[in-house]
Amino acid sequence: MASVTSPSSVNTQGSPTQAPAEKPSPPPIDILPSQLAQAYSYVHPAVLLGLYAYRFEALVADPVRELLADLPWLAALQISFVMLCLPPAGSTSTEAGAGAEEEKKKAPKSPSGPLRHGKPGYRRKHSSGKSSWACFFAKLMPAFLSFALTSLLATPLIAVLLVLFGAPLTTHNAETILCAAHMALLSATGLVYVHGVEASVWKEVWGIARPVDAVWGSALGTGLGAWFGAIPIPLDWDRPWQAFPITILTGAYIGYAVGSLVSRTPLLYGKRIEFAPEQAEEEEKKTN
Amino acid sequence: MVLKAPTGSAGTSGPKNPLTATAKEKEIALQEAKSQQLEQEFKTKHLGILGVLLWVLLLHVAGIYFFTKGFLLTRMVLENKSSCDILPFDDVSGKAVSSSTGGKKGCWHDKTFDKAVVIIIDALRYDFTVPFASMDQDEAAHLFHDNIPVLYETAVNNPSNAFLLPFIADPPTTTLQRLKGLTTGTLPTFIDAGSNFAGTAIDEDNLVAQLHSAGKTLVQLGDDTWQSLFPGYFDANLTHPYDSFNVWDLHTVDNGVNEHLFPLLQPENKGKWDVIFGHYLGVDHAGHRYGPNHVAMAAKLQEMDRVIRKIIASLDDDTLLVVMGDHGMDTKGDHGGESDDEVQAALWMYSKRGVFGRTSKDTLLPPKHARERFVPQIDLVPTLSLLLGMPIPFNNLGSPIEEAFAGSSGNDWSNLLAVNRLSAAQIKRYQHAYATARGAGDDEESFALWTAAEEEWKSASKGFTSKSTTVRSSYQLYRKYQRHTLEICRGLWARFDVPSMIAGVALLFFGISLLVLYARGMKIDRTELTPSLLSFVGAGTGLGAVAGVVLVLFGFTDMATIDASALLAAFGSMAGGLFALVKKPENLTLPIPNGMWGCLAFFFTVSQSLGYASNSYTIWEDEILLFFLTTFGVCAGISSMRQKSTTDRVLGVYHSILFVILGRVASFSRLCREEQMPFCRSTYYASSTSSISAPWQLAIPFLVALILPGVVRSFYAGSKSYEGAATLWIGFAFRLGLLITSLFWMLEGADDGEWLPLRKETLKSVRVFLAQLVLALAFGAGTGAYLYSKPCISISVNKPTEDPNAPPAPVILGQQQQPRTTVTILGFGNVYGTRFFFLVVNFALAVILMQKPMGQGAIALLICQILSLLEILDTNALTLTNSPIGPVVLGLLGSFYFFKTGHQAVLSSIQWETAFIPMSTIKYPWSPLLVILNTFGAQILAAIAVPLTVLWKRPLQTHDRVSQSSSTKVANPASRLLSDVVQAASTHMLYLATINLATTMWAGHLRRHLMLYRIFSPRFMMGAVVLGVVDVVLMLFAVAGVRWSTLSVGEIFGW
Repeated sequence: MASVTSPSSVNTQGSPTQAPAEKPSPPPIDILPSQLAQAYSYVHPAVLLGLYAYRFEALVADPVRELLADLPWLAALQISFVMLCLPPAGSTSTEAGAGAEEEKKKAPKSPSGPLRHGKPGYRRKHSSGKSSWACFFAKLMPAFLSFALTSLLATPLIAVLLVLFGAPLTTHNAETILCAAHMALLSATGLVYVHGVEASVWKEVWGIARPVDAVWGSALGTGLGAWFGAIPIPLDWDRPWQAFPITILTGAYIGYAVGSLVSRTPLLYGKRIEFAPEQAEEEEKKTN
Repeated sequence: MVLKAPTGSAGTSGPKNPLTATAKEKEIALQEAKSQQLEQEFKTKHLGILGVLLWVLLLHVAGIYFFTKGFLLTRMVLENKSSCDILPFDDVSGKAVSSSTGGKKGCWHDKTFDKAVVIIIDALRYDFTVPFASMDQDEAAHLFHDNIPVLYETAVNNPSNAFLLPFIADPPTTTLQRLKGLTTGTLPTFIDAGSNFAGTAIDEDNLVAQLHSAGKTLVQLGDDTWQSLFPGYFDANLTHPYDSFNVWDLHTVDNGVNEHLFPLLQPENKGKWDVIFGHYLGVDHAGHRYGPNHVAMAAKLQEMDRVIRKIIASLDDDTLLVVMGDHGMDTKGDHGGESDDEVQAALWMYSKRGVFGRTSKDTLLPPKHARERFVPQIDLVPTLSLLLGMPIPFNNLGSPIEEAFAGSSGNDWSNLLAVNRLSAAQIKRYQHAYATARGAGDDEESFALWTAAEEEWKSASKGFTSKSTTVRSSYQLYRKYQRHTLEICRGLWARFDVPSMIAGVALLFFGISLLVLYARGMKIDRTELTPSLLSFVGAGTGLGAVAGVVLVLFGFTDMATIDASALLAAFGSMAGGLFALVKKPENLTLPIPNGMWGCLAFFFTVSQSLGYASNSYTIWEDEILLFFLTTFGVCAGISSMRQKSTTDRVLGVYHSILFVILGRVASFSRLCREEQMPFCRSTYYASSTSSISAPWQLAIPFLVALILPGVVRSFYAGSKSYEGAATLWIGFAFRLGLLITSLFWMLEGADDGEWLPLRKETLKSVRVFLAQLVLALAFGAGTGAYLYSKPCISISVNKPTEDPNAPPAPVILGQQQQPRTTVTILGFGNVYGTRFFFLVVNFALAVILMQKPMGQGAIALLICQILSLLEILDTNALTLTNSPIGPVVLGLLGSFYFFKTGHQAVLSSIQWETAFIPMSTIKYPWSPLLVILNTFGAQILAAIAVPLTVLWKRPLQTHDRVSQSSSTKVANPASRLLSDVVQAASTHMLYLATINLATTMWAGHLRRHLMLYRIFSPRFMMGAVVLGVVDVVLMLFAVAGVRWSTLSVGEIFGW
C-alpha cells in the first residue's frame, strides 16, 4: 500500500522554509531493556491471542456479553503490559527501565516532551529513586491516565470510524461500542502511556508518520487488521462468526500481535510510511 | 485568491512602455498572431484527443459486442409449422385412435370448445388470487391479498367448472418475452430480452398463427405488444390495441378493454369472433407505479374481480374462459428478473360445461403457495391448442395440463394418454428436426423414456383388461419424457459461443493494456502523440477490415463478413496504436502505480474487479463501495495531516472528514436487492413493498433547492470565484431549476396521494410542463451559458493614488514594476475549474430532476462529495501531478451513487416510469435517453467532473508566463492542459474498463453458475452499459466541454 523509506531520507523533509521551530519528532520507543520486560513483551501478544482464541466460541455465541466481560481483563492486561515493558511518557527508554544506567540519560534528544500536566522534575526524581514501589507508582499514574484517555477519547473516536466505514448506526450499537473499546485498548493504551498528549507526536500519529516501533506498530496493526477483518463479512458462508463485529475484532487482535512483533525487526524498526513519491511533491507547487 | 497584478503582465492590456508607435503596433500584431496561432493549435489538438477517445470507445463497443454475441443465449428458430393433416407420429395406429373416437371435429384431437376468451391480467401474481396464508406467524395480510377472490371461489365451489394453478414463467419476465412463450410454447433466449421497447414479429409456429390459418376470427384488446408480435393476425375492425408503456396511467387500457370486450360477449355478437385475447395492464401499472402494497393495487384487483364475474355472467357453454398473469412482480412491483415473486403468475380456466377434473383428492383445492403443484407457462400452448382442436405448434415444449383433460370425474386416463402422446410425439418431432438442423444426435435417456412409453402405450391399446393401470403408467411415461426434454432444452439453449466470447474478452483486455500505456505510461505531452497515433490506428483499422473481408472471401472463416472485418479492424487498430505508442521508447515510463495514491487507486480497481468473481461481493457492492470511499477519505485525512502548509492541512483534513461523513449519510438511501434480505432495509421508497416516495421524502427536493446552490457557492467563494456568471447561474438559475423540480415532485406526491381536488390530466400536464422547463433550463439555457459565458472572475482597475493602503503588489514574474495602475482580479486562482464546473451544474440539474426525491438528496450529496474530493486533491497537491486517484475515486463515487439513487445491478430496478417525467408518451430516442439519465445519472455526473481533477485550482498558465518563467523549450501551455485532461479521462475510462472486463470475464467463466442470470449476467450487462455511457459522456461532454472553458479563459488572459 505504501512504500517505506529509511528514516534518514525522511528527516530531511522537516527542514524547508515553513513550520518555524518545529520540534524534532521523538525517536522510536524501545521496549525496556530489563529481561522481564523483554521476555514479557513477546509473551504478551501471544497471551492476548491465546485468550482471544480461548474465548472465541463464547464470543460467537453472545458477542455483547462476552466483549463486555472481557473488557476489564483486557484493560488489566494492557495496563500491566505498558507498565512492565514500556517507558512512561516524559521519561526516556533507558532511564525509566534500569536505574543503573544513569549516564546514558543525557543522550536522548527530547527531554522537553513530558506529559503536559506532570512535573518532569518530580517524576524524574522518583524514577531514579531506589524504591521499586516509588517506581511502580510513578508508572501507575501514566498508566491510569492512558487508560482513562483511551476509554474516554479513543473509544468514541474508533466507534465513529467504525460507523463511517459502514457499521450499522441504527442497530448493533452495543457491538460497535464494545468493538471500539477493545480496539482502543489494543491500540491507544500504549501510545498514550508512552507519549502522553505530546502534540508533535500526535500530529505524527494522525499523519501515520511515526517511526515504526513496537507501540506504534501494534496500533497500526490493530487498525489494518480491523480493516482486513471486514472483508469476510459479506461472504455467503452463513457462518455465525461472520456476524459484526467478530471478524473485525479478530483482525484487530491478530493485527495487534503481528504489528507489535514485526515492528521490532530491524527491517522495519525506525522506518516511516511514505505517501507520495518524493520528486512529484515539490515540483509543481502552485506558482501563484 | 486575490491577485494584484501590475498591468501588462496578465496580457490584458497593451504595454505602456515608451516604444515607438510602429514597434508597438508590430509587437501587438505579433502577439495577436501568436495567440491566434496558439488558439488554433489548441482547437486542433482538442479535436485530436476527441478522436483518440472515439477510438477507445469503438474498441470497447467491439469487445462488448463480440462477447455479448457469444454469451447471450441463442436458439435456432425452426421454420417448420405443424399442420392439421399430419399427425406428429409416423405410425398409422395413432391416427386411427385419434380419428376413431371422433364425433366432434378437431385437428389432432377432439376439440372441447369452439370459442375462447383469453384474458391476460398483466402481472397477476399467484398470491393475489388465493386466500392469504401466512408463512410465519407474525406476517399479516397485505393490501394486495384477498382482493380478487372470484378465481379461488369458483375453483373450490365448482371444481369441474374451473381450476386455479400457479403458473410459472420462464425468465426474463418481461411481457414481450412472456407472450412469446405463451403462444409458441418455447423457452425464451436472452437475446430477445432487450427488444421489449420495440417488439418484433414472431416467425415461429405459434398458437395465434395456427388459429389464424384455421380461419378463425381473432380479436385482440388491450396491450399493443400483441400487435407487434402478431401483425395482421387479428380482425382489424374488432381489435383495439392500446399503448402499453405509459405506466403512470392505470385505467386507460383497462377501460378500453372493457369497453370493447363486453359488447362482443352479447349473444347478438357471438358470431363475429372465435377467440378474444384481452390484455389488462392496470395491475402491472399499479405495481410499477405504487408497488403491490398500496390501496391503488387493492382497488385495481377488486375491479378485475368484478370484470371476471361480469365475463362469467355473459359466457355461453361452448366458450372457454382463461384468465392468467403473464408474470408476477417483485416486492416493489417491478419485474423482468427471475426471483420467485416475479415468475409466479396465476392460471385459471373456466367453463360453464363441467369438463375439468382432478385425478386425486389432494389436488382438489388450489395450492396455497405457488411452489406447490405449479405448471410452467408453456403448458398453456398444447392445452389451449388441443382444447380448441388445433394442432400443437411445432416448437412447443409444454405438456397438456392435467386438470383440463382429466374429465369431470377425474379418471379419463385414456384422454390424458391421448393428449400426452400427441404432445410428446410433437416434442419428439421437434427435437429430431432441431438435432438434424444442428447436426447432433438424440439424447439417449430421452430416447429410452420414449421407447418405454411407446411400449406401455402399445400394450395398453391392445389389452383392454388392465386398461387403467397401463394407461396410467403409459401416460406417466409420456409425461416424464416431455418434462425430461424440457430440462434438456433448458440446458441446451444455455449454449455459449465460446470463441466469440474469447474474442470479446481479448479485445477488451488489449484495449485496457493500451489504455494503461496511454493513461499511465507516457512521459510526454499526449497531444503530441495524437497525429501519429490516429494515423497508425486508421491504417491498422483499414488493413484489418480488408484482411477480414479477404479471409471471408477465401473461406478461411465462417464468420459473417461484417463480424470478421470488424474483429480484425479492431485488432489492427490496436496493433497500429501500440506501434505508435511504443515507437519512441524514451517517451515511455513503466506504468506501475507509484506512491501511496497510485497504489491505492490500483488497489481499489483490482480488488473490486476480483470481488466480482464472488456472488456475495457482487450483491453487497454498495456496502463495499462505501468501505472503499471511507478508506480513501481516511487516507486523504492522513495525507492532509502531513501537509506542511497550515492552510492545506486544515482544509485538507476538513474536506476529508466532510467527504467521509457525506458518503456515510448518502449510504442511508438504499434499495435492497432480493439477495440482500434479510440484512438490508430499503429506505428509497415509502416501504419495502412500494415504489412511491413517503410524504416526508418530498421535503428532500426542497432542502436540496435550499442548500445545494449555497454549498456550491461556498466552494466558489473559497477561491473568490463567486463572480461574473457564477452569481447568476448558481445563485439564481440553478436554484430556480431545483425549486421547480421540487414543485414537480410535490405535485407527483399530490397525485399519488390524491391530496388535490384536481383532475389527473391537469396535474399530469402541469407536471410535464414543469419538467420540460427544468430540462430546457439545464440543457437549453445551460448549454448556451456554458458556451458563451466569461470565466468566473471580477476585474477591477485601481489607481494606486486612490488606494494607498494596498499591500505591495506581489510580483508574479519576478520583474520589478513601477507602481502604476493595478488590476485586481478576483477568482484568479480557480479560473479553469470554476468555469468548467458550470457543465457539472447543468447536468446535475437534469439528473436531479430525473431522480425520485430520495435520489435527489443522494445526487446533491454526490455533488458535495465531488467538490470535497476536488479540494482534497488540491490541498494534497494531486491536481497537477496527474495522480490516478482523482479519476478513480470519481469512478467509485459514480458506482456508489448508482446504488444510492435506488438502483441495483438487476433488471427489475430500472425505473422505467421516469421516462414519463418530462413526457406523456413514449418518444424515441428521448424516452430511452431519459431512462439512461435516471439510471446512470451518478456515473454521468462523475464522468462530467473528471476534467476537474486536473482543472480545479489549476494555476493559470499562458504562453508568455511560461516562456518567461522557464527558459526551456516553449510548448503551448494549453496543450499541457489538454494532455492532463485526456490523461484523467483515460484513467477514468481505465477504471470502468477494468470493472467491465472483470464482470465480463467472470460472467463468461461462471456461465454454468447457478446464479448466472440472477447476479453475474445482470452485473456484466450493467458494467458494459456503464462503460459505453461513460465513454460517450466523457467524449461528447466532459472532454469536449474543456474546449469552451479553456477558450473563454484564453480570451481573457491570452494563450
